[in-house]
Order: sequence, then structure tokens, then C-alpha cells
Amino acid sequence: MATTIQNVQCLLRSSMSRRFQKFCSRAYSTRKLTNAEVRQKRINLYDAEKERQLAQLTRVEKIEVQHKGVPEECTLIMNKDLSTPFNCAMHIHELLMTRSALALVNGEPWDMHRPLERDCELQFLHFQDEDSRVLNNAFWRTCSFILGHVLETAFKDEYYVELCSFPPPNVSSGSFVYDAALNIGDWNLSQTELNCLSRIGYRLSFADLRFQRLQVPVSVANQMFADNRFKTQQISAIAAKSKSGSEVTVYRAGDHIDLSSGPLIGSTAQIGRYSVCAVHDIESPTFGKLQRVQGLALPTQLAMHSWTYDSILRPRAAKLNAGPLPELRKPQHTQKEIPAH
Amino acid sequence: MASRTVLTLGARPLGLSHNLCGNLTTLTGLEWSSVCVQQVRYRRFPKFVVRPTTRRPWHVRKWTEKKDEFLDKSNEQFVREVIADKYAKTSSSPLKDGPWERNPYLRGTRRSGVLALKLGTLIHWKKDGTPFTVTVLQVLDNHVINYVPPEVYATYPSHCPHQGLRFGLQVVGSLSCDPRQFSKPYNNLFVKAGVPPKRWLTRFLVTPDAAIQPGTALNVNHFKVGDYVDTQGRTRDYGFQGVIKRWGMKGMPKSHGTTKSERKMGATGGGGDKDGIWKGKRMPGMMGNYLRTMYGLQICRINTRYNLLYVAGVGVPGLPHTFIRVSDTVLPRKQRTEDQMSSVAMPTWFEEDEEDPLPEEMFVDDVFQFTEPSLELEAEES
Repeated sequence: MATTIQNVQCLLRSSMSRRFQKFCSRAYSTRKLTNAEVRQKRINLYDAEKERQLAQLTRVEKIEVQHKGVPEECTLIMNKDLSTPFNCAMHIHELLMTRSALALVNGEPWDMHRPLERDCELQFLHFQDEDSRVLNNAFWRTCSFILGHVLETAFKDEYYVELCSFPPPNVSSGSFVYDAALNIGDWNLSQTELNCLSRIGYRLSFADLRFQRLQVPVSVANQMFADNRFKTQQISAIAAKSKSGSEVTVYRAGDHIDLSSGPLIGSTAQIGRYSVCAVHDIESPTFGKLQRVQGLALPTQLAMHSWTYDSILRPRAAKLNAGPLPELRKPQHTQKEIPAH
Repeated sequence: MASRTVLTLGARPLGLSHNLCGNLTTLTGLEWSSVCVQQVRYRRFPKFVVRPTTRRPWHVRKWTEKKDEFLDKSNEQFVREVIADKYAKTSSSPLKDGPWERNPYLRGTRRSGVLALKLGTLIHWKKDGTPFTVTVLQVLDNHVINYVPPEVYATYPSHCPHQGLRFGLQVVGSLSCDPRQFSKPYNNLFVKAGVPPKRWLTRFLVTPDAAIQPGTALNVNHFKVGDYVDTQGRTRDYGFQGVIKRWGMKGMPKSHGTTKSERKMGATGGGGDKDGIWKGKRMPGMMGNYLRTMYGLQICRINTRYNLLYVAGVGVPGLPHTFIRVSDTVLPRKQRTEDQMSSVAMPTWFEEDEEDPLPEEMFVDDVFQFTEPSLELEAEES
């Protein structure tokens, strides 16, 4: 945490006696850290890392991408490590651009704005598919990610919110979750205040923010999340799980940056309805007392009447989600059950 | 061309010209450019009946285009069960927060009315053999939706100054429907009463002593046999009609040299000396589809099982399956007598008022019932 000596000059300019001013001056910082500052710092580090990675691409190589599915099956010649599935969709049809939330690259779920690495087979997924289980999980994961954004931006500066993690997506539980230390004391959020939080998430769909994926080395990640005591503990465990062993996946949507492993959907414009439904108190064995914030969302493609959403789905989403509590297990025992997903 | 005003229960209403206008009213500006001015019979100008064909400015948007399109059959079934369970208990009891006090009926009290569905007409006979036509009205699934006290109603745009602070506003709704066919602001109107959203809403001006708590069900027993009621509804819509059908003008002969004027109006006035055409001159125009009240009709029979009112008279406005407002009459000579006032259901009828269950059919004394032996009339001397 960066420490700054309080500016004493403002006290010296006052009309009080010098002796009293000296009595009042302090030698430690009273300025608190705010979420806005921390987020800005993360963005700067992200931008720097992204520039560095882009600079490493000196040669533009070509790859063959086979598109399978509607409206036409075709072969595209794209740029390696630069072109994304979204770029492929741009070449094929506008419908694929707007409705595709996730891509399947050689059968593997792939973000819409993640660069393609080699020759592959490409398929697009949308919410009205026959089997959209993979996409539903990606959607739920994205909503948890957005909930992190909501929590970090909603509160006043004097409240420093520390996000912890969110469990793997479970759509049939009825709600998505983010566990965080809200540091608001005993204040119980009323329904009106939950609606204010919901509105922040809902407005993001108008902003049409794309989800950008970046793999950063552990050192950069540690710098990014240095101000979050929970994430610092999680980073080493996550990195150990990655292919290279020293990289961590980080996603960015607008001004929000967070750790996440699995694929997220293409853009916030694909989120239709978004509600923050409840806040419950939980106790994690590793991280202590936290709040479990629960929400509910629907994709833009799936229209639902407000009565069905408000009278059936929302009360269910307000009930305590029985998902796993955030926990840091020691890496030598098991390789799985890492908190942040 | 007459547009259809037949309604099918369970489907959206067709043919009512005020719905076909297509304009969504905003609270800021109501365009009254589509108002037709129609002459009232037997009165000279400047008395007019104004027939607006656009929605009132204080109405919320009612219908919605948004549907639950992507639900599986099993999910759709589940949602219907939830709707049925949620509203199953609201058939009879008012709100939980204490029933309102019940005041006696006094001279000058105005009770709420009900919204009934006009089913059609029948013939009944009196005990002296004379037939008379009755109109059958069904009090269909009525609930009180809201009550606005006089001080608050006085601030409403629909409040007329001559009403003063005498009357409060009672909103009554009829025919519960699936909430998913309505918009959110319309559904919110029914949250206070805790009843399913209704297809039809109407207002009654009531004196504060006759205010009914929102959520109360209104029954046909709100009235008694022998009561006199006023029925108000929209007359059948004939659309744009010529003067012969609309005003009963005679037109001109169909032969003997008449040139293109068989169904025309003919003369329009007394010329320039008499200031041209006078206001209210009968001309072709929109006919029907206006509010009309028939005053002082007697209830000659009540069926408590199907909530039917049999009202003597054939002039209840509208086609079958239109909604009619039924309320206590305002005619001075048909008001209740002092002994009748003590037996009025105030503010409405509740099931706990009766010790014994009411009979299914109740008739006025001089109506002949077919369960009785046939009438024997003496032959008239020729």
C-alpha cells in the first residue's frame, strides 16, 4: 500500500498558533485507498502489459479458419494471434456478429474477442441453440464478473470494497454469486438500494463493453491485485494450474479488470435484464467474514414478461445460494478447487 | 360499415374504435383532434355530446407485446400453476390489514356499482299474464381495486368543480386475466388490492361512508330484487353512417327523375340571412359507440349461483358481451323508502351477513315463476 505524508501546509496556513499546528500534525497517512484509484492502477498495468505483448508480434502470419454452421460453411484466411472469432463473424454475416456470444474452436469454448492461435474449426453459439449448456455457464460466469464491477463502483469512496472470488457457475441454483468484503458494517441493503445496484449492471448493456482476455505473468498480476488481500493469496494457486505454470488469465470489460479462468460472453450488450437480488453474510474458512452478493440476469435474446421475472425468478434468486464457500486449499494436497473461476 | 363490437372472453377485444386509434396517450399532451361533436336529440345548439376516441390522459399503457416466447411446455405449465396458486385465495376476502368500518345507508348515500357483462335478452311474464323483456347481466369476477378519498380526488384532472368534496372515487375491475398479457404499469395498479389484473376497469363516485376496501369481491347480492338501477354502456358501433340511417331523414324518391340524390340530406339551412348552416345540423358521421345510460330499470330476478341480474327493459346499451356499469338509480321517484334503507347491503354484501345460505333464484313478487302452476285467465268477452 503506498503511503503518503499528509500535506501539512494546509494546517500551517490556518490562523491557529504554530505550536498547536505542530501538535495536530501527524506522521502517518490518513488518506484512505479508494476503489477508483486501484481500478485506474490496474488499467494502467493492463495497458502496459498488452502493449508489451503486442510488440512481440513482429510478423503477421496467416491461418486457415473453417467456419461450420449457418449461414454458410466457408474457409477464412485470418491473422494468427490477431484475428478473433468476432473478426471471422464480421466477414460472414451481421447476424453472427450480434447474436454470437461464444465460439467453439476445435470444440473448445473460446471467447469471441480472443485471438486465434492456429488453423482451426470455428462454430458460433447463441442463446436460442438447441443445446446451450456451455453458453449458459459462460453467461452466468460473465454475470458474476459484472457483479464484481457493480460492487467496486457502486459504493462511496470511504467504503473500500475487496472482491474475493466467485464459485463455478450453477445456473439451476437460480442465482449467480460474488463473494466480497463490502466493509459496510451492519448496514442491511434495502430493496431500493439493491435496485440501484441492479441499475448499474443493467446500464452496462447499453455501453456495449467487449470482454477482452489477457494472459499476464504472475508478477504483473501480483502488482495489479496488490491492494486486494484475497486475490494476492489466490494468484499463485491459479498460476500453478495454468499451462505455462506462471501465467494468470485476466479479463477486462470497460474499466473493470478481474481474474477469471473460463470463457466469458462476447459483449455486455448481450445481457438483457440484470438484477442484484440479495446480500447474505457468510464465513469462509480461509478468508473470514464475507458477504455473498447474489444476482439474476437474462440474455437479450430471451424475452420474458416482467411478471414471470419479478414474481417467480427474483424471489428464488434472493434465497441463499448453496454454492461452495471461497476457500484456499493448499496446493500440495489437491490441484483442484481453486476459489476464483 | 358497422365495426364488430363482439368480445370473446379470453381474447383481446376487437372492433372498439377507441382501441383501434393506435395512439399511445402520454401524460403530457392529449391530442383531441379526433373528437367528433354529435348533436343531442331534442336540444338545440349549443348543447353537444363530445365523443373522444382517444384514451384518457391518466390511463396507463394497458396491453403489452412482450411475451414469454421461449418457455418450454413444461415451464409454461409451471408458470400457469404459479399464477393460479398465487391468486387462488383472493376470491372473497379483503386485505389483511383490518376490515373497514361499515356505516348505515342514509338518504344521500351513494354506493359503489358493479361491472356486469351483458349476456342478452329474455322474456318474462307477470302474474297477470303480460310479457315483458328482461336483459340478463352477469356480475363477472368483480373486485374493488382502489378507493380514493374526496380530498385526493379533488386534485385529479377528471374531478369536476361542481362535485366538490362530496364524493370519493371507487375503482372496480372485472374479469381476472393472465398478468402476462398486460404491461408492468397496468399490473402494478392491482398490487394494492392483491387481486389478479382485470381486463376491465371502471370508476364509481361514492360518498365516503360507502367506501369499500380494495380487494373486496363484489357479488350480485350487492343489489336486491326490486331495486332500481341505472345501466351505462357503449352503444353498438355503426361506424360512419349517412343521414337516413343516422337521423332518420326521408331522402328522396328512387325514380321520377331524381338525380343522384336518393339518400342525400337535401337542404342544409336558411341561407346567408340566417347565418348559414347552424351548429348541430344533422349530417352524416360516426354513429353509435358512445356512452349511454338507461335510468331506473328494475331488477326483477337474481340468480346467486351464476351471479346474474335480470333487469326489466330492453334498452341496455351495447351488443351482448359488452361490459355495463350497473349502479343504484339517481331517479328521485325510484329511490329507496325508509324501511328499504335498513336492509341495503352497505357498503356491499359480505357472505358473513347471511345466517342461512341464499336461495339460488330470487324473484320480484309479481313475476310469474314457471315452477308455479299455470295461470288461469278468464276469457275476455268479445
